Amino acid sequence: MYRTAANRLLHHASLIKNSSGSHLLRLPILRTVIASSRFSTTADLQTFPNQTFNPSDSSTSSSSSSTAGDDSRHGRKNPRAEYEEEQARVLQASLRHVIKFGWSEEAMIAGAKESGVSPSIVGSFPRKEAALVEFFMDDCLQRLIDRIDSGEELRQLIPSQRISKLVRIRLEMQAPYISKWPQALSIQAHPMNVPTSFKQRAMLVDEIWHAAGDEASDIDWYVKRTFLGGIYSTTEIFMLTDRSPEFRDTWLFLDDRVKDAFDLKKTIQEATYLAEAVGAGMGSSLQGFVGKVFQR
Amino acid sequence: MALRLVTRNLRNRISPKLCSASLLHSHATSFGFKEVREEEKSQMVGKVFSNVASNYDLMNDFMSAGLHRLWKDRLVSKLSPFPGMKHLDVAGGTGDVAFRILESINSIRRRALQDPINDDLQEETRIYVCDINQNMLNVGKNRALERGLGEVKSLVWVQGDAEALSFEDNSMDGYTIAFGIRNVTHIEKVLTEAYRVLKRGGRFLCLELSHVEIPVFKELYDLYSFSVIPRLGEVVAGDRESYQYLVESIRRFPPQEKFASMIADAGFQMVEYENLVGGVVAIHSGLKI
Repeated sequence: MYRTAANRLLHHASLIKNSSGSHLLRLPILRTVIASSRFSTTADLQTFPNQTFNPSDSSTSSSSSSTAGDDSRHGRKNPRAEYEEEQARVLQASLRHVIKFGWSEEAMIAGAKESGVSPSIVGSFPRKEAALVEFFMDDCLQRLIDRIDSGEELRQLIPSQRISKLVRIRLEMQAPYISKWPQALSIQAHPMNVPTSFKQRAMLVDEIWHAAGDEASDIDWYVKRTFLGGIYSTTEIFMLTDRSPEFRDTWLFLDDRVKDAFDLKKTIQEATYLAEAVGAGMGSSLQGFVGKVFQR
Repeated sequence: MALRLVTRNLRNRISPKLCSASLLHSHATSFGFKEVREEEKSQMVGKVFSNVASNYDLMNDFMSAGLHRLWKDRLVSKLSPFPGMKHLDVAGGTGDVAFRILESINSIRRRALQDPINDDLQEETRIYVCDINQNMLNVGKNRALERGLGEVKSLVWVQGDAEALSFEDNSMDGYTIAFGIRNVTHIEKVLTEAYRVLKRGGRFLCLELSHVEIPVFKELYDLYSFSVIPRLGEVVAGDRESYQYLVESIRRFPPQEKFASMIADAGFQMVEYENLVGGVVAIHSGLKI
């Protein structure tokens, strides 16, 4: 948020530099900055320390009218952010209606009514229901990141436990919506929505590996993410049909899968060592053989 | 960046003086390719539509080979109507768009029939059909009777001017204008009025015959509209002049980008447009926040 606000300020500052030579120009710009940015007014005034406003300067009437036009153009950029905020507010409110209406337009209409805008706004969301599911995914990821940043509990765990803990935290966020989650999955699997849902899952898996303290950037990177993606998705599916109290079976299943994966990693590592050893042995005997051949 | 904005602005400021679109702002305005005084345009347009009212739908089917039905379906699906909606359909005298909206709302209700709240909402649904031309409205009312919608409370027929709507501020969830904005004298006024009557979150949708830019298709389209349509009007509706006006007024209408910027200037956000059939028609949309 600070970054966007700073950008906005910078933008306006450059505008002033370009149109220097007239004092009149500055006033409308200053006003929009104050009106539009979420910075305090004092911060705005610091940005323009040497402002002098001269109302009697009449030589710039034509150019000042053109800046007024510019202002309206800039003004339109801020509403874009305003629109996104509005959209987020509507979608946030819609989540409360998902259990009743599913991941549907009805839920979003109810959400819009609740947040006091005309439900017509739903028609402007790209890909309708997908907008709601994607918003939920982003929201969950953000909450997960917050949890990671604030959590001491995670640091005491060994990597495999840490991973299963993180996957569990994330999946627990879906628990309230479990009866409607198959619908969400089908929306995500729609060809139109696959690119976004795939990206969101990749980001999630990446975030979990990061939190687990993985800094690798070799070929292992892909292997690890594929594994975790697989574990996450299978557990997610398992959860759908889990009727045990508080999804106990799901978490057992998850722990087993993570353990399997780490075991497999160990097995693969051992196999590599073996292969290296065998390779080395073969190499030396080959060397010996070649040496003998060339000695003759 | 700023410099570019300034120059673009200057260009915008100068170009109206050069290009013919400026006639929309000045005291003379266009009626097809003819230039007429502002006061005359609305009368002349009124005459055209009084002439064509009876054959309007037949001619639409003939000229667009039935495609106008699909375009209107697309418009309504973009709108995504909901039960309890207050909608204003301007220049929709024959009720084509209004009937579709009502149908779409009813099908939504059927989906959620078990929900009693929706039933009450359905009662509150109002679709106002506003047209400046009483003849067109009469056609629409008759069609409503034929469809068995004569007694439906949700449909309200209002005679009114799109440039001075009789509705209150912030009273509508949706605003559509299909094949109408081309015929008004001041497009800006219509847009301002649309913005005024819409609620926060309300949407503006405009279906209009627009400009084709695809090379070969453009030539074919021009040939079709200037040679075939007026003759078709003569044969089918017995009225060549009105259809000559129709094709000319399409060429006079601002191109997609320009019209989109006019919508944005009226205060709408998320202004987008979608070309159908390569730009023969375009659906512009905007959102009031």
